[in-house]
Parts: sequence; C-alpha cells; structure tokens
Amino acid sequence: MTCPICSRGTQESYCDFHRMAHDNLTKAYVEWRDAMNITWEEYLKIVADNPNTGQWAIEVARDLLGKGVERPAI
Amino acid sequence: MERKVEQSRHTLVLAEKPEAARRIAEALDQKGKAARLDMRGVPYFRAENNGRTIVVVPALGHLYTVAQERGRRDYYPVFNYRWVPKYVENGRDKQVRTFIEAIDELSRGASERINACDYDIEGSTIGYTILKYACGEKERDAKRMRFSTLMDQEIQDAYRSLSPSLDLNLVEAGLTRHEVDWLWGVNLSRALMLAAKHWSGRYATLSTGRVQGPTLNFLVEREKEIRSFVPTPFWNLNAKAEIGDALYDVAYENEKIPKRDLASKILEETSGKDGTIEDIQVKSYHQAPPTPFDLGSLQSDAYRHFGYTPSRTLNIAERLYLSAFISYPRTSSQKLPPAIGYADILRSLGKRKEYKDLVEIVLSKRDLKPQEGKKDDPAHPAIYPTGNAPQTALSPPEEKLLDLITKRFFAVFGDTALRQSMRVVIKVNGHTFYLSGRRILKEGWLKLYQPYAKEDEVVLPTLEIGQRIPLRQVAIEDKFVQPPPRYNPSSVLRLMEEEGIGTKATRASIVDTLYDRGYVRDERMVVTDLGFTVTETLERNSPRIVSVKFTRELEEKMEKIETGSELRENVLAEAIGRLKPILEELRSRETSIGQTLSEAIRRAQLEKRIIGPCPRCRTGNLIIIYSRKSGKRFAGCTNFRNGTCQAAFPLPQHLYGVKPARRSCKVCQWPMVEVKPKEKRPWNLCLNPDCPSKAKYRRNEG
Repeated sequence: MTCPICSRGTQESYCDFHRMAHDNLTKAYVEWRDAMNITWEEYLKIVADNPNTGQWAIEVARDLLGKGVERPAI
Repeated sequence: MERKVEQSRHTLVLAEKPEAARRIAEALDQKGKAARLDMRGVPYFRAENNGRTIVVVPALGHLYTVAQERGRRDYYPVFNYRWVPKYVENGRDKQVRTFIEAIDELSRGASERINACDYDIEGSTIGYTILKYACGEKERDAKRMRFSTLMDQEIQDAYRSLSPSLDLNLVEAGLTRHEVDWLWGVNLSRALMLAAKHWSGRYATLSTGRVQGPTLNFLVEREKEIRSFVPTPFWNLNAKAEIGDALYDVAYENEKIPKRDLASKILEETSGKDGTIEDIQVKSYHQAPPTPFDLGSLQSDAYRHFGYTPSRTLNIAERLYLSAFISYPRTSSQKLPPAIGYADILRSLGKRKEYKDLVEIVLSKRDLKPQEGKKDDPAHPAIYPTGNAPQTALSPPEEKLLDLITKRFFAVFGDTALRQSMRVVIKVNGHTFYLSGRRILKEGWLKLYQPYAKEDEVVLPTLEIGQRIPLRQVAIEDKFVQPPPRYNPSSVLRLMEEEGIGTKATRASIVDTLYDRGYVRDERMVVTDLGFTVTETLERNSPRIVSVKFTRELEEKMEKIETGSELRENVLAEAIGRLKPILEELRSRETSIGQTLSEAIRRAQLEKRIIGPCPRCRTGNLIIIYSRKSGKRFAGCTNFRNGTCQAAFPLPQHLYGVKPARRSCKVCQWPMVEVKPKEKRPWNLCLNPDCPSKAKYRRNEG
C-alpha cells in the first residue's frame, strides 16, 4: 500500500510524514472550533490556504477536501 | 641557494601557511628583513638570529591525509588505512607534492626542527605528519613554538621559550580524530553510494559521517515539525494611549486572546473609552558588558550583524590573523589574560582616528579588567585585535569583521550599563492595558559597542497615578501561532556546539558539506527530499548513525586524549567496534536502501532542473532540458511529453551556468533562472520573452 499523497510505502492510510500532519490537523481543529465555531470543512479550507501551514498539512487538508472525508470524532 | 641552506646546519621552522611563514621569519630576523627565497615555486624565508640561520618554510594546511592502504575503492568495510601525501589520495592537490619535496630538501641540512604551525589540534597534527613523513621520522626530536598572534614580540618570545618536544597529546588526539572520521565517513558513505549504484547502475555522490549524520538529523527533525505544522488562531488587541500630543502603543493584558468572540467583546468594551493610570512600576537593572569573542560567538554575531555564514567568518578571521590584525581565531576561550598587554593594544588602536575617543574612555578607567566568560581554551585566549593598523585597504568584509572584534574588545572593558524599564498599568472599563517605556540611565559599555549593541529607547513623559488616559485606535488583529523557525548556518553551528558534536575547526565545513551534497538548500535551511531520504534510510536501518549520543560519547573520549587521560588505541578500537555491526546491518538491507536512495537521487536531480510552474498550461513545470540533437539547453514544460503543452523558452548557452532561481519575476510573475557567467556575479533572468522589464533591451536591439 502506498501513501495517496507521496506514494511512500505504508501500512496505513498515509505515510509516517502525512500521518503526522493528519494528527496535527485533527488536534488543531479543537482549538479552531472553540475559537471560531467553524465546521471541519471550513477549517480545512482555511488551513490549506494559510501561509503558516506546513506543506504536508496542506497536502493532507487538500486530500481530505478532495475525498470529502467527514470530520473525525473529537 | 639550496646547497647553501643544506650546508648551513640551520634551524628549520615549519609554518602552517605561507603568510604565517613570512611573518615568523621577519619577526625572528634580527634586522626584521628575512630573505624571501623560492624552491620550485615554494616560497620560504631565511632569517638570521644571533648568528644562527633560521629557515622558515610553509605548509598549505594539511599536506598528509588518511587513505585506504590497499584494496578496491568500491568496497566496504575498510579498516586498513595509512597517512599519505594528499596528492596521492587526490590528484588535484599537485601543489602539495612540490611543498613536500621542498620541505624534505630544506630539512636535510637542518640541525634543529621546530613546529610553528597554529597551536591547536590541527596545527599540531599538520606539523607532526610533516616532520614524520616529509622530514623522515624527525618528529621525536622536534620542538614546538606556541603563540596566539603573529605579532613580532610574541613570536620572538615563543622562539626563546620553545617547548622541548612536540605536544604529543594534541598530536595523538588529532591523529585519532582524523582516523575515526575517515573510518566512519568512508565506510558509511560507501555503503550508501554502493547501495544506490548496485540498484540503479548509476554513480552519485552521497555522504554521511560521525558528525554529519546527527547534524542532518537535527535539521530533518525541525523540518518535520515545520512541514506538519498546523497554525492555530488567536487575537491581539492593539491600541494607542494619547498622552499630550503623542500616541504611545499599549498592550492588552492577555497577549493572546484565544476566541474571536471574546476579542470582539473586549473591543466593544474598550473602544473609545478613557482609562486611568492605576499603577506605575519602575525597575532599574544593570547590564554587564559582553564577554570576549570565542570563535562560536564571533560567527554568531557576524551572521547577525552582517549575514556572513560561519565558514565565511572563519575564512575572513583567518586572513585577519595571518595579517596579524587579530589573535588566533580558532579558540574556545572567552578569557583575556593580562599578559596580552591590554593598555598597549588599546593605545595602538587609539592611533586610528575612528577609535580615538573610544580608547580614551577605556584608558581613563583606573583598572583595566575585562568581563570574561566561563569558557576557556588551554591553547589560546579569546579573539582580540592586536592593535596593528592596516597599511593597505582591507576588503569591506575584513574591515567589518575587524571593527566588530575591535569594538567588542573595547566593550569588554566597559562599565556596566544601567537601564530603566517602566510599566504603566492603565485600567479601561475593567480591562488592563500596559504602557511600556525603557531608557538608558548610564551608557557604560553600550557606548563602546556601537552600532552592534541595541540602544532602543521609549522615553515616556511624566505620568502619575490616577491620571486619565484616552485610548485611541483600538483594533483587533487576527494572528496565528507561528511554526518553529528554520535553522540557519549560524544557529545550526550553535546547536552543534551545545550538543557537543564536532570541533570549532570542523563544524563550519560540515554545514558546507550539507549544502554541497544537496541535503539542504537556502539560507533558512530547508531539508531537500534527498536529505530527508538519506536520514530516513539511516534512521530506519541503523539509528545509531544519526544518534547524537553516540557521537558525543566518542567526542568526549577524543577530548580525553588531549589531556592524556585516554589512550588513542582504545578510542580507535571502540570506534571500529561500534562501526562494524552498523555496516553489517546496512549491507544486509542493501537492496531496499539502494532502491530508496536511487529514487530520491532521481527526484533530486529532477528537482534541481525545475524552474517553476509553467505559465502557459499552468499544470506542468518548466524544467531545464538539454536537446540531444543540438546539445543546446532550453526551458520546456513537463507536459510536452503528453502533448498538452508546447511551451519552450531559450536559455543562455555554453559560457554561462544556468540554474533555477527559485523566485518569480517581480514584474510579470513568470519563473526565473539564475545565470552565472564565468568568474562573474550571477544575475536573474525572467523567462517571459515579453516581460515589460525587458522593454529597454528590446528597444536597444530593435
């Protein structure tokens, strides 16, 4: 199985690097939701366009938006 | 001339570099005019000193290096090595051969030999290997000269008080360090390169090493944090306090307001309102002078003030040392012993009109006592200016660095500065704002260290508790938590020093190697795909290679050799003992390592050619392409292969180097390439043939 973003080999949905970014995205959503009361999808769009967001996090955010993945249970 | 020298039973003095040789010879010649001679292009100097002829001959830094003793070069592990002339290992070092031959010849007639190379681990090793191999095992009865500046007086004193033998502990430590680094570097690098070659059939230069591996790992860990970083929002409340006719910035009590609604509520409650001064807190504090420069702090300050990389600073500092303007720069010391003669140096510096006033301030002190740091170096004091005035114009970088070192020297003798900070607490409708002021009550050393010391002041008017303060321009600012900063060449050097890996002499070159190998790019160091893959591969297959703990342990043991509390044989045996299982691990996984590295190398080579997004189709990338038919290069779109984009643009040809500029044109936003004519400065070229910035050239041509 390969990472859908970078094609590195992986046993999970993302490679180690993009999984790290995915974890960070999930954790940060709690702060964004409390701060601005926004939906998961709105959040992903904002984060993907933020110049401070890391490249892997942007790639994961775009991948999730493309897939229309529902927000994780937090 | 050569025969005369041979017959004269002279003293042979070895210097590390030609300029050092000249200065040593002139200092030792009783008339101060040593004769400059030449042996097949190698300069050397003859001085007369109390009826004795002294021949001073330079090296070119290291003339000998560690090399594989026997066997193929495309094989590992290799544990057989010996010291050989550098030209044997590297055919490009042809000059080394003539220097070794000249030293050999000049040594034959000598009755006494002295190592006067820089007094540190490298200088001791350079002198030892020359005496042993070029002079024919003369290291046992050779003497050692120790000095920290190339000033006449210090060289003469050093000659009068020669050490009767070489500093063998330093020599042993130096030999061990070179041998351990060679064993690790050659074996690990070959393991990587051969794995890639066996997989892809192509050769590529890859390297890692005892210090290089952990250093790259630091950068990779930081890069991972940055690339996976997700910013979180917070809000700032900005406002200004109106006092008299002036507006002053005030800060809200919470630097970060975590919710937008809360920030809006505070804005509503404070906007257009008047506040009242509830408290005025005044604090005075002393600021001690800085400590003298050791190499690390000099490199750090030169980067901060001038943007010089650590290796550039070291090169400039070495030139200043060889010209006798500063003391020996490869030092860890932050101490200045009285023996260097503070007052004499200051008086010499005071002869330059730009320093006259500052020197008067320092010399007016009753007691000249420098502020010193904790770090010490048994071989050399901290870096200081010798007081020698340049007779010819220095290059601007030399001038700047010498000024920094000189003013730092003044500053360490300065008085403590006295600063005052004031915090005014303003209550506005239940919310607190702070108005901050700061000023200098007594300049002390700050005056001596301009423009390098910050003197930023915010002087507040007279205020009193209960005073009414109208708040103006209250506004909310959207903010985001920032990712951790990238390392730069200076901060990574500091990190290596803190982590205890590498030496002051080697750290800067290791950072340069990371750039040369293509593992990192840009001043704010970005780890490339190749850098990532190499570290990832090593970490996955043998984590000890990138472990800072292991490197530090070995480093500590090598330092113990310098003090005679550890044996060189033990350290070498341990280094080999630790290396063997790592190499076995790497070999057992050679196929998977080779595949991963080969793919990364292929991507890196492609990445090097990518200029930027194609402005025509907007889906492909423009890359540098070499035409097989014409041999010419041009920029073409990657979508050419699937037939969807025909975009192609001419590039300058053979006399110019061309590479992606990694920036877009300020005028038309098209990608740019960096064009480098031979031996000239590079310039950026926009690929857009119709770019408005080229209108002038079109008119000229038209």
